[in-house]
Parts: sequence; C-alpha cells; structure tokens
Amino acid sequence: MRTSILILLAVVVATPGLAQTPSVRSWRDAVRQLRTAPTARLTRRSAQVATIATSIVAESEPNNTVPTADSVGLGDRATGVVNPAGDVDTWFLDLTAGQFLSVDVDAAQVGSPLDATLELIAPDGTTSLAFNDDFDGFDSRISYRVPQSGRYYVVIRAFGASGGPGLTYAINFDKVTCPVVGTEQEPNDNPGTAAPVAIGDSGSGEICPQDDNPAGDVDYWAFTARAGTTVELDVDAAALGLFVDPVIALYASDGTTQLAFNDDEDGADSRLQYSIITTGTYYATVADAAGSGNPFPYMLHVRSITPGPGDPITVRAQGLGRPWGLAVGNTGDLFVSDLTGNRVVRVSGQGVVTTFATGIPTPQGLAFDAFGNLLVASTHGAVYRVTPQGQATRFITDAGIPIWVAVAPDGRIWLTDLSDRSLRRYSSTGEFEARFDAISVGGSGPGPLAIGPSGDPYFSQGTEIWKLANGELRRVLRSAFIIWAFAFDVAGNIYAPAPAAGRIQLFDATGAIVADTFAIGPDAPQAVAFGRDATGATVARLFSTDPRVGRVFEVNPAGVAHPGQPVGYVAPPIPLDVAAASLLGGGGLSAADLQYLDALGNNNGRYDVGDLQAYLRTVGALAGARSNR
Amino acid sequence: MSRSRWIFAMVAALSVGAACSDNPTSGSARAGTLTLRLTTPHADDGAMTFEVRGAPIDGATAVDASLRLFTRRVDGSTMVGAVVGNLANGAVVTLHVPDVGAAARYTATVLEMADRQDALRASLAGYALAVDP
Repeated sequence: MRTSILILLAVVVATPGLAQTPSVRSWRDAVRQLRTAPTARLTRRSAQVATIATSIVAESEPNNTVPTADSVGLGDRATGVVNPAGDVDTWFLDLTAGQFLSVDVDAAQVGSPLDATLELIAPDGTTSLAFNDDFDGFDSRISYRVPQSGRYYVVIRAFGASGGPGLTYAINFDKVTCPVVGTEQEPNDNPGTAAPVAIGDSGSGEICPQDDNPAGDVDYWAFTARAGTTVELDVDAAALGLFVDPVIALYASDGTTQLAFNDDEDGADSRLQYSIITTGTYYATVADAAGSGNPFPYMLHVRSITPGPGDPITVRAQGLGRPWGLAVGNTGDLFVSDLTGNRVVRVSGQGVVTTFATGIPTPQGLAFDAFGNLLVASTHGAVYRVTPQGQATRFITDAGIPIWVAVAPDGRIWLTDLSDRSLRRYSSTGEFEARFDAISVGGSGPGPLAIGPSGDPYFSQGTEIWKLANGELRRVLRSAFIIWAFAFDVAGNIYAPAPAAGRIQLFDATGAIVADTFAIGPDAPQAVAFGRDATGATVARLFSTDPRVGRVFEVNPAGVAHPGQPVGYVAPPIPLDVAAASLLGGGGLSAADLQYLDALGNNNGRYDVGDLQAYLRTVGALAGARSNR
Repeated sequence: MSRSRWIFAMVAALSVGAACSDNPTSGSARAGTLTLRLTTPHADDGAMTFEVRGAPIDGATAVDASLRLFTRRVDGSTMVGAVVGNLANGAVVTLHVPDVGAAARYTATVLEMADRQDALRASLAGYALAVDP
C-alpha cells in the first residue's frame, strides 16, 4: 500500500495490523514461541538469542560525546540511565571489517519507561551509519555489517529528548549470527535448497542476513499443489510483536517466474492468494522489505482455500500498472483508472486495452455523468470530467481529497471527500449542493461509494457499509475485512471486494452474509462493477480490478445470480420531436430540460442545434454515433 | 397611333400580363420538389437550423437517410428546420411545394450551424442556402 498517502491513511486506520502497537513481549519471546509452537518443530537451538554477556559495563558520565564515549566490547552488556532530559550516552567498540554488529537495547521490555533511540556512528565520529527507534516494542536494535576496521560509536537517547532517573537501559553488543530457527533449514536461499512445507501446514524460520549473504536473507519454501487449488500464503512476523516488514512471493515450478507478490496485506505482515492452474511444485519466499538488517523470526502458513460460486475467475485484461476504479460504458467497454501512469484505460469486449485519458493524478473512482462524460475522482483535489473523446479537464474543484464518485439516477453527482471525511452532493452540471458529515460512523472513510437501489448513496468507511437516506446515516453491513468499491445487483445484493483478504464477499440486501467467499480467485480485488451489453443494459457479469497483479478479471458468470442494478443517470423522457420543436421555436420543454440539453451538448448557456445533435447522439438516434453513457 | 391600334396594344399587353401572373390557384401551378442546397466553408459541419420563406411549402425530407430532419411550419409561407448529420456542400433537404414554378420566390437562410463536436459556429460567414428546381 504505497500507492497514495490517502489509501495508506485509509488502510492504516481501518487495519489494526498497521496501527501497530508495541508488544509486551520481546523478540526473544517470539523466538521462544516459535521454538515451542507445535508446528514449529524446531530441530536445533536458536543461537539467535543473544550470547550471554561476558561482562556488564556501567556507563560513566559524562559520556555525551564521541570523545567522552564509554568503552565496551563484543559480548558485553552495557547499562546506564538517560538522565536528565536530553541526556545522550555514547559507547564505542573496536570492530574488524566484515563483522556483523548487533546492538540491542533492553529497556521498555524489562519495565523501564525509556523509549530509546539508537544510532551507529562511523569511526570518523560524525557520520551516521544506522538509526533505529522501535524494533522490539519500544526497544531499539541495529544490525550492521561494518565495512572497515575501526572504532565505532553507539549513541542512545530517549525519544523526544526526555530523560529522568528511572529511564534505565541495557545494551547488548554482539555479532549477528544466523543459526537455524524453526523448521527452515539454512541454507535455503534458492529453489534448490528450499525447505519443504505441505499445504495445510506451517513453517517457521528467521530472516537473518548472514555473513556469507550480505544482500540479505531470502527463505525458500517448496510445496506441491494440484491444479484448481487456491492457495493462501500467510506470513506472520509483525504479528509477533516486532516492528518488521516481511514480504512474500510465489514462484512457479521453474523457481524463477514470479506468480504473485505481496507486501503489507495484513498490517505490516504479508499474505497472498493464488489459483493454481498446473499441478506441480511451487516456491514461496519470505524476505525483509525494510532491509534494516535486523533479524526477525516468522511463521509461514500455507493453506488451501475453498473456491466460491464466483470461481474460477477469467482474466479480461492484463499488463496494467495498478488498476483501481472501474466503470462500464453503455456499449460494454470497461473503463479503468490506472494509478500507474495517472491514466484511464478502456478495455474492449475483446480485452484490447487502449489509453482513454491521461494527465489525471492518482485517479480513483469512476462514474459516467448524465451527459456521457466519465468522471474521475483524483485525490489531488479534483474530480475530472473526461469527454467521450478522452479529453480530461478539472471539473469539481472544491473538494479537498475526493476519492470516489457516483452518479444517481437523477443525474446528481455524489463524491466522498477524505479531507473532511464527508459526502458531498452536486448537481448534474457540477454545482455544489450539500455536504454530509461521515465522521460519526467511525472507521477511516468515507471511501468507495455506490448508489443503492433506492437511489441513495452507500459508502464504505473501512469494514462497514453505510447508507445515507433522508439525511440520516444507517449502517447496512459489517465485514471482517476492509471493503472497497462494491456493486449492487437488481435484487439489492451487495458484491463487496476485500483486497486484504483476497476475495469478493456477497451480502444480501439486509446486510447478511450470503457468501463469505464469493470468489477467492483474485489476489486483491479492488473495485467491482457489473457489465453491460451492447444496448447498455446491465447484465449478470461481474468484473473487478486487481491492482496487485495489474489485471482486470471477470468472476465466473455462472455464479452471478442476477443482473447488476443499472447505474448512473436515467435520461428524462424527452421525445425527439419535442426536443427539435422546442429548438425551432415550438416550446414544450421546461427550463430544467433546456439546461440539461445544453449541458449535454456545448454547455454555452442556451439550447442550440449543437445540443440537439448531442442529444440525438446520446439516445442513439444519430446514425453511426454512440455515446459512452 | 390610331385609336384601334391603341386598343389592340392595350389588350395585348393585358393578355401578356395575365399570362405571367403567379396565381397558385390557377390551373397552371405544378406541384413538385425543390432542392435546398448548402454552401459551406467547413468540412466538419454536423447540425444546422435554417429558415425557408416566400411561398407555401407542403413538407420537407432529408436527401440522405443518414441525415435527421425536423421541421416546423411558422406560417403559410415560412418553415424552419433542423438537419443533423454529416453536412457538406450540396443538396441537404428536399422541399415539397405546390408549385415548382414559384421556385424563384423562395429564400432560405442558415440560422445556426454546429460542428460535429456540438460546438456552435461563431460566424456564419461563407454559408449559403439556395432553393433550386
């Protein structure tokens, strides 16, 4: 989730895993837990636990500077107090080039109120080589391979330059070593040395940069999967209470073709799902995204997931960057916002991808307006309007951070604004009408937005969908996962993509779960929308974007029980002869009708022959012309 | 001029005048069609409103099925219309009239013109409509 700050914010607030809080346990506890876990099946003692200190060295003030630093050696345990406020304790030790230094603070984990920060300084006494605030709860740790022999300095401070007589600490100075932890069997840094793990089982190990692997540790795991199986790879490390950032990847049987990758799907931990097409051996890898050098233990769960009625999925477009929002034109073409390239692409029924509009920063939600233009919410402070010819202009500019947009049957435009967490309503021609506060519903929204069967706006605030009707907010449903851009069918059922869970869920009109796993095939479904046929009628086909793998896919249509609810504007019944007669001086249209027709066409403030031409095109009454609406 | 020759001349002149009169109710009127022809300086015209006046018009049709024509009768000798489609130099509308012999009495005017992207032409300079037999 590095796409945008907004998305990050949304997910951070809604995802407990990312709103990480320090654990009450130490990383050593985590290692011990792995050693004792039934699935861990540790075979050897973990030497990752720090070596027993050879001596305990107490600080000697003043030691606030490099010249006054206290001396320690590898294997020593230094103790001290950060006192008074702003106190800095400096330690030095002499190291040999290539040594992998571990500097590990014990303070908060052993009851001290100190929230330490740690810094490693080069032999020149000024160059900062590494810094760490929190690794083991509030306690800091630095692992660093020294490039040259010399005297290195370690500086410990209190976060926020606080201090006091109770802010005690201990620092363990040691070398990083990487023995076997858990069920992994180092070396396992390539497919040929992968550790075996079975579907339904778990493996455990430690990401630990070794002396002979300065690029960092990658643990390979091998498992056999049958065609048709949807596997889930789930790595837990941050969940053990550590400020670490594991990544996970899946490789094909050749060991080199990456099939799927994930970082941060489950808080800082990672998880992915993948539908196996060919029976064979596959490889899962676990590595460190942060590259801090600090070793950490982890558990890898390999599961098989039962498919839902929407499985298997079919890829309709691929090779996109990060496809996000989705809208369907009136001839069935799919329009997709692609965060990579700040563009909107058009996907034909044959899966041909063409760029439709460019120059729209961070495009998010999409919807067609009453006049056949495509509205694109950009978190850079605007809703863009894209003509059927693909020309984009800033349209609604008074919302701070618009993230999603929808058009009601009456043509009014709704959008969600993260800057003040509100829903905003505009006329069909973009004039602001009303604002509705959505802070009260909690969560991190309002985010994705859709118009329900009643014509009222529904929105996700994270894990819940709420409805705004008659000025009142009412919760419709609650999920175990963060819900992104959902869609209604004609029966009022709600198809809700849960990217973090790698599935689409199905709820009925009352908000009751119908299928917890409607489709498990997609890696991270982001936005769903029902298809339309060549006449513009909504059909029982459901499409979704998948930004993680750059695809647009369709769920199994056999599992889609109802056609989608028609979306967007429903044109007023203006007969063609009345529209023409009014232009020719015969009257017959209201002021609102005239405004609508003008906005449909050249929008020059009066109804003219250019507007009549646009109307004929919109309703399909002009030979060889079609609108996108 | 003798009196008898003067009378003859007057009778002859009156006879010629009567023969040249344009009385639609006269038995010599012949119903038929006239053609409205457009002259345009642009190659991307998409829609036009126009007015035809001067003599009665029974009706109008577009010359091409790809064009959509809408008309409204203003009075007995005036009609306004809108024609939408790919317009170009040449015939655009067929007028059905009760007397094709009255072609010279019709005048036609372009009222509005829009390009194929719905934009209204700011100027109608260079446009002309002619009513041809």
